[in-house]
Amino acid sequence: MSTATPSPLLDPEFLTKLEQLELISRKIFVGRMKGERRSKRRGSSVEFADHRNYSVGDDLRHIDWNVYGRLDKLFLKLFLEEEDLHFYTLVDTSLSMDFGDPTKLHYAKQVAAALSFIGLVNHDRIVIDSFSSTLEPGLSSVRGRSQMWRVVQYLDQLQAHGGSDLTAAARSFAIKHPGKGIVVVISDFMDKRGYEDALRYLIARNMDIYAVQVLSREEVEPELTGDLRLVDCEDDDEAEITVSAPLLKRYKETLDAYVGGFREWCTRRGVSHIFTTNHAPFDKLILNYLRERGLVK
Amino acid sequence: MLLLAQANPLGGLNLQFDPPVPWSSAWGPTFWSILVGVPVTIILLYFLKLRRKPVQVPSTFLWKRSMEDLHVNSLFQRLRRNLLLFLQLMAVFFVLLALLGPQMKGSTRVGQRYVIAIDTSASMSATDLEPNRLDEAKTRALDLVDSMGSQDLAMVIAFSDTARVISTYTGNKGQLRDRIASIAPSRTGTSLREALEVAAGLANPSKQFGEGEIASEVQPPRLMVYTDGGFPDVEGFSLGNLIPEIVVLGQPPAQGQSLPSSNDGETTDPAVPPSNNVAVLALQTARNEERPDQIQLFGRVRNYRDEPVETVARLLRHELDEPIGEGRLIDAIEVSLPARGSRSFKFDLPDPGPVGLEVRLDLQDDLEQDNHAYAAIGRPRQARVLVVTAGNRYLLNALTTATAGDAAEVVEIRPEDLETDDIQRALLAGLYDLIVFDRVAPSDPPVGNTLYLGAMPPGEAFEQARPVEAPIVLDWDISHPMLQYVRDLPLVLIREARVVEPPPGSTTLIESDKGPIAFITPREGYSDAVVGFSIYGEERALNTDWHTKLSFPVFLYNTLRFLGNVEEGLGDQVQQPGQPVVLRAAPTVDEITIDPPREPSSDVRRSDLGTFVFNGADEPGLYRVSWESGDAIEQSVFAVNLFDARESNLAPRGIPPEGVTGREAEPYLIKIGYTEVAGTRTSQPARLDRWWWLALGALGFVLVEWYIYNRRVYI
Repeated sequence: MSTATPSPLLDPEFLTKLEQLELISRKIFVGRMKGERRSKRRGSSVEFADHRNYSVGDDLRHIDWNVYGRLDKLFLKLFLEEEDLHFYTLVDTSLSMDFGDPTKLHYAKQVAAALSFIGLVNHDRIVIDSFSSTLEPGLSSVRGRSQMWRVVQYLDQLQAHGGSDLTAAARSFAIKHPGKGIVVVISDFMDKRGYEDALRYLIARNMDIYAVQVLSREEVEPELTGDLRLVDCEDDDEAEITVSAPLLKRYKETLDAYVGGFREWCTRRGVSHIFTTNHAPFDKLILNYLRERGLVK
Repeated sequence: MLLLAQANPLGGLNLQFDPPVPWSSAWGPTFWSILVGVPVTIILLYFLKLRRKPVQVPSTFLWKRSMEDLHVNSLFQRLRRNLLLFLQLMAVFFVLLALLGPQMKGSTRVGQRYVIAIDTSASMSATDLEPNRLDEAKTRALDLVDSMGSQDLAMVIAFSDTARVISTYTGNKGQLRDRIASIAPSRTGTSLREALEVAAGLANPSKQFGEGEIASEVQPPRLMVYTDGGFPDVEGFSLGNLIPEIVVLGQPPAQGQSLPSSNDGETTDPAVPPSNNVAVLALQTARNEERPDQIQLFGRVRNYRDEPVETVARLLRHELDEPIGEGRLIDAIEVSLPARGSRSFKFDLPDPGPVGLEVRLDLQDDLEQDNHAYAAIGRPRQARVLVVTAGNRYLLNALTTATAGDAAEVVEIRPEDLETDDIQRALLAGLYDLIVFDRVAPSDPPVGNTLYLGAMPPGEAFEQARPVEAPIVLDWDISHPMLQYVRDLPLVLIREARVVEPPPGSTTLIESDKGPIAFITPREGYSDAVVGFSIYGEERALNTDWHTKLSFPVFLYNTLRFLGNVEEGLGDQVQQPGQPVVLRAAPTVDEITIDPPREPSSDVRRSDLGTFVFNGADEPGLYRVSWESGDAIEQSVFAVNLFDARESNLAPRGIPPEGVTGREAEPYLIKIGYTEVAGTRTSQPARLDRWWWLALGALGFVLVEWYIYNRRVYI
């Protein structure tokens, strides 16, 4: 566990870079409030899209009277409806996230802060929730750049605690947020109960899901020697091992297989899987990696 | 020695312990205390090892999966800690057991006996093995000695054309090593029979006790022969209880080599592969028949390689009055040798007088020795012959022919002149090489060789001579130099002859139906030849018709050459290394000095047979001979050459090529009597007594394991 003072979540220079970005979704979402984002759904905005014949019950305010003057026919002006995007971030705060230097949790917070900043700059609705064994009360929907301090304040107060139950948290999350949107789950996904059920709850909501898997370097390249009794920090489960070259080789193969299996599972279900370690440069993850994956542009 | 176990039911074998470090020795208690402490320490370390260091990790999820994959969570894994301890304790137990020196001994057990026979012949100096075959053989033999057990005995024989016991049976390995290391190469041929006879004599100590009861060794000795197989098969030899194992040294032939047909008509043995050697196999001098002032040198070179060879044969001259060194080049010819063929060469040179000649081939091959050949040209010498005869003109005519005149200077005197002081002094001074007494005998034997015709030498042994009439020649010794080319003796008619039983040491020359009528007998370093009849009998009547036969002048000429010391035998005879060399010198000389090519000079005294026998010609090369003759020092030289095609052919014999079995393999096998022995390239020592190193290795293993544990390093 790390005891070092964590670096600030975001630095000003990085923030200026983030201002150029916006969150995008691969799916059409209907915002609850009109936002700045052009929706593919035609609605009532100032940007003209098309005409259609008037039918009874249509809002008379949308009749194009100029056309009626020329053609003596009632046409309804259709506008591209502007919508706001709901951007959910679900951060794992279980004890296992408190490993590494910087800790995985700190790394997760940085990712959450950066993505939230991008969303706030673009007047998206930002929701941040955290979970360990259950879903914790999170930051309710905020909008606008001015709310960034609330985001940072919320993330700063997050502490690692308890075990993790991703499935329970995802179920609660899906019930709590019935609307659609982009959801980014930042976790190590090392839940012994599996990740499948949890992600299925989210997929069922037709959400645009990004699974950001953060592991510490100690997990990827373990530097263990000798005869050890490994204690799981979350459930005190023990495993006695004698570290040997074959075991280390096998561990890496198991890790590769697990991450590979997770990625394949996600790909088949339209979930974007992003693997990173706490030592991977954080800004590159946002500016390059997520951009390639289509989360930001 | 500690006797622990009782006789076991398998046959009276007892388990004994003979620890290399006895408890009673100076540091024995310390040694054994430390050893006993080892298992105790392992158990303590094991308990320490059980305290695994707890490490908190984010998740044991993947670790458990990994271990499941490695099946380390199986039952074996649960047993692992105990099994490891068990294995370690077992290792230490075996170490302790090994250090106790367990030995199974029975009442009937005797140690293995080895007869180590090492071939030292000329071909063993071949350098196809580094540094040479003999050193490789010695190394193999030393390996065998190292592998001997404490009960084993070995004897060492070095053999070439003769066999020499280097070490009698002993179990002293240090002595065996020293003796084997002292074996030097010889330059002679090979005879396995010699080695086998020596080995069999010493290794088959079967003795007969009483009727039909033979006491022999319970365990037959193993005869280890380290050789390159360059010897003829040993026929008519019984190995007895010897078990031969022939370790063949030398480069094996390359696979798939074809045998080119020989251009010079010589047959090539298909069983003999090529070898990297070119050898001079013959060299002989002869005087040119047409031009007596010229000497001709004939030689033959053979190429054992599978490819043609172009080389230069250089003729070098070695002066007698200076040490035999590099020599002076006087001629050279190019020699083109076909693959596995031979060529003759010839040098013509003006008669150089007494000189040593060497022919040297300019090339590099695996056996350097046979690239040299030596020849000696002696001084043609005239014998001084005194003939005491009462006008026997047939005798004088035969002694003064042109050919005989070249060989001898004949002085004729009458029998009555024998009594004069001059002649008496001359006979005592040994001024004559040969004195021919025709029907007369002196009162005292002269200093010099003699030939008596129709008379007996003075002495008691000849007083018993009896006259016989008309003896018929039955047999004569055609191998004797005096009877060379003498063929028509049965046609000779003899009226009367005197016959006597030759004294001991004599050689009968001509045997008749009445007894020996010609013989030669040694006398104080000289030889007396006696022919029991003369040309003339009493009253100058012809006693025989021998003088009308061709054999008469031939016999006299042979006598001049043999007894007159004309044939010095220095340049003409082929001397081989290791063989005794018979030399002749002036009759007044009692001692000659021989200067071998490498060893210090030695003096040789005249033998009872009047010759000088030198037994030290072990090395091929030129041997200078010198003796004092009056005020001057006379010098001569003789050459010793190996000239042994079998030694020069370096292809090792005794191992059939791969894939050849049954009857096809027979030509490759070495036959000893009726036994065919297949050689091996490597010998398997009967017993490897390396428990000490194994024990130390096991202990080291445990220590390394402890170190790894202690340092928590992982491999």
